[in-house]
Amino acid sequence: MSLSDSLKTRTAKPRITVKKGFYATVEPYLFLLPAFTIFALFLFYPFGRTIYLSTFLTDKLGNAKVFWGLGNYRDLFASSSFWASVGVTFQFVAIVAFGGLIAGLTTSLLTTRKYPGVTFASASYAMPVAIASAAASMAFRMILHPTNGLLNILLGTQINWRGDPNWALFSVSMVTIWLASGINFIFISAGLRGVPDELYESASIDGAGYWRKLFSITLPSISPTLFFQIIINIISAFQSFSQIRLLTEGGPGDATNVIVYAIYRDAFFNFRFGTAAARSIILFVIVLVITLIQFSFEKRSVHY
Amino acid sequence: MTSLAARKNLAKLGNMLLNIPMLLVILAPLIYTLMISVMPPDEIYQNVLIPSTINFGNYVKAFTHPAYNFLTFIRNSFIVSTSVMLGQMITCSLAAFAFAFLDFKGKKLLFILVLATMMVPGEATIIANYLTVSRWGWLDSFQALIIPYLTSAMGIFLMRQNYLTFSRELHEAAQLDGCNNPRFMASIVVPLSRPALGALGAYVFLNTWNQYMWPLLVTNSSSYRTVQIGISMLYDIDAESLGLMMAGVVIVIVPSLSIFIFMQKQLINGLMAGAVKG
Repeated sequence: MSLSDSLKTRTAKPRITVKKGFYATVEPYLFLLPAFTIFALFLFYPFGRTIYLSTFLTDKLGNAKVFWGLGNYRDLFASSSFWASVGVTFQFVAIVAFGGLIAGLTTSLLTTRKYPGVTFASASYAMPVAIASAAASMAFRMILHPTNGLLNILLGTQINWRGDPNWALFSVSMVTIWLASGINFIFISAGLRGVPDELYESASIDGAGYWRKLFSITLPSISPTLFFQIIINIISAFQSFSQIRLLTEGGPGDATNVIVYAIYRDAFFNFRFGTAAARSIILFVIVLVITLIQFSFEKRSVHY
Repeated sequence: MTSLAARKNLAKLGNMLLNIPMLLVILAPLIYTLMISVMPPDEIYQNVLIPSTINFGNYVKAFTHPAYNFLTFIRNSFIVSTSVMLGQMITCSLAAFAFAFLDFKGKKLLFILVLATMMVPGEATIIANYLTVSRWGWLDSFQALIIPYLTSAMGIFLMRQNYLTFSRELHEAAQLDGCNNPRFMASIVVPLSRPALGALGAYVFLNTWNQYMWPLLVTNSSSYRTVQIGISMLYDIDAESLGLMMAGVVIVIVPSLSIFIFMQKQLINGLMAGAVKG
């Protein structure tokens, strides 16, 4: 019996029908009212407003002044700094998505077996989920300090991690990977717990070693988890802001000017709210496309 | 047979040892921050890693010096995080109740609408929201920090999933006994949903406590600033006080870590439901 059949039989059961009065008809909507009021004011309306603003030139207070059609988008697509920002964003997202995944995979593989201290290790690996990106960024400002920071002390170098265009993107990526490692650990660990023990047992009987088991049993078994996790990493990396604001302010030059930071710059330094709105819509479309890719993949993978 | 046992123990030991470098990498930022925060200032500039004496001067200064206002930031963050947490528990439970127990026109469409909001990144609407609250004269106020976050699709989804595990007969029996929906919810559904509410509460409180971009945009005066804005502003006040800055980081991390340590299970349940949004 498929899932939809079981749903049908459940709802088809004879149910007691009470004749509905006026109150009973409106009651469900009363339950929904508080949540939908908030959604309407702070999600649906601003979403429409962002689309609207993206087609206007605005004044310094963000009021729509001159209808500009797709002008804001055209100007963005024609500007090299927009494409630089897109390029930086994709580099950042790629480094963080894979870096976070590898960090989470390593830490969860290190804690699959039972040994003294495994509880402490697991808690430590999950811990970054609780830390604010702003607080972590401030801690990393000290770690990355050019003369007195931990990283330069340990390496014996004097690298200006945040100010050197060759290192700035790498530095904010490292901070973001550290922040993302916790959620990657949690999801990948849960995936690993779902791999049936019998698979490992029969492989052991066949004499397969650790690496052989890792590559031919573990990784294929958790590939749906890894795929899901990479999508989560990509979406949250696209939304990164605090690290950029607190470590590099998009610089040096445009070296770390990712899309969300560019939105912030447009709106609050240049007061170009129309352009900021157009960038917001572009960000929305990118995230939407990635989400749809994930949905279509999940639909197909249900049958495996 | 002893050789097999010995090999197993050796494997355990090896596994433990392999964890040490990874643990150092993950814990280093916290340990280092703590060290710098209690280090005598001259040792910071001598690139010492472990302080020779422990000095809590930075903490005293952060709490008592009027320029830093840490007590105000902490109070503000507690007010905002608690309000958002309670608000979401209420609005999400109510909406989820309708979606799980009641039949009405447009139910499917409205639920899809809720799920669709998960696809809009908050950063994409933040400019328009900023313009709205500033037009309403809400800049520098608690309502600007609290009201926009009083509901979430993730919360509605989490609570609905939980309610769907209740049998429908329970609701029907209650109705036959003349128990109306608000009473049914308050006396049966909510008490039975404590674990899910705990997960939602821990997750929402932590997320709000850790929020940065929105409070940065809507607050200008230190009387409404939250902790994350407070520590990041320390640089603007005194860029030379590295130790004080790290004390600030420790102070704002302690509540986050406490929630993580004492409510780990609830938090992880909330996170797993919320990660869909990213």
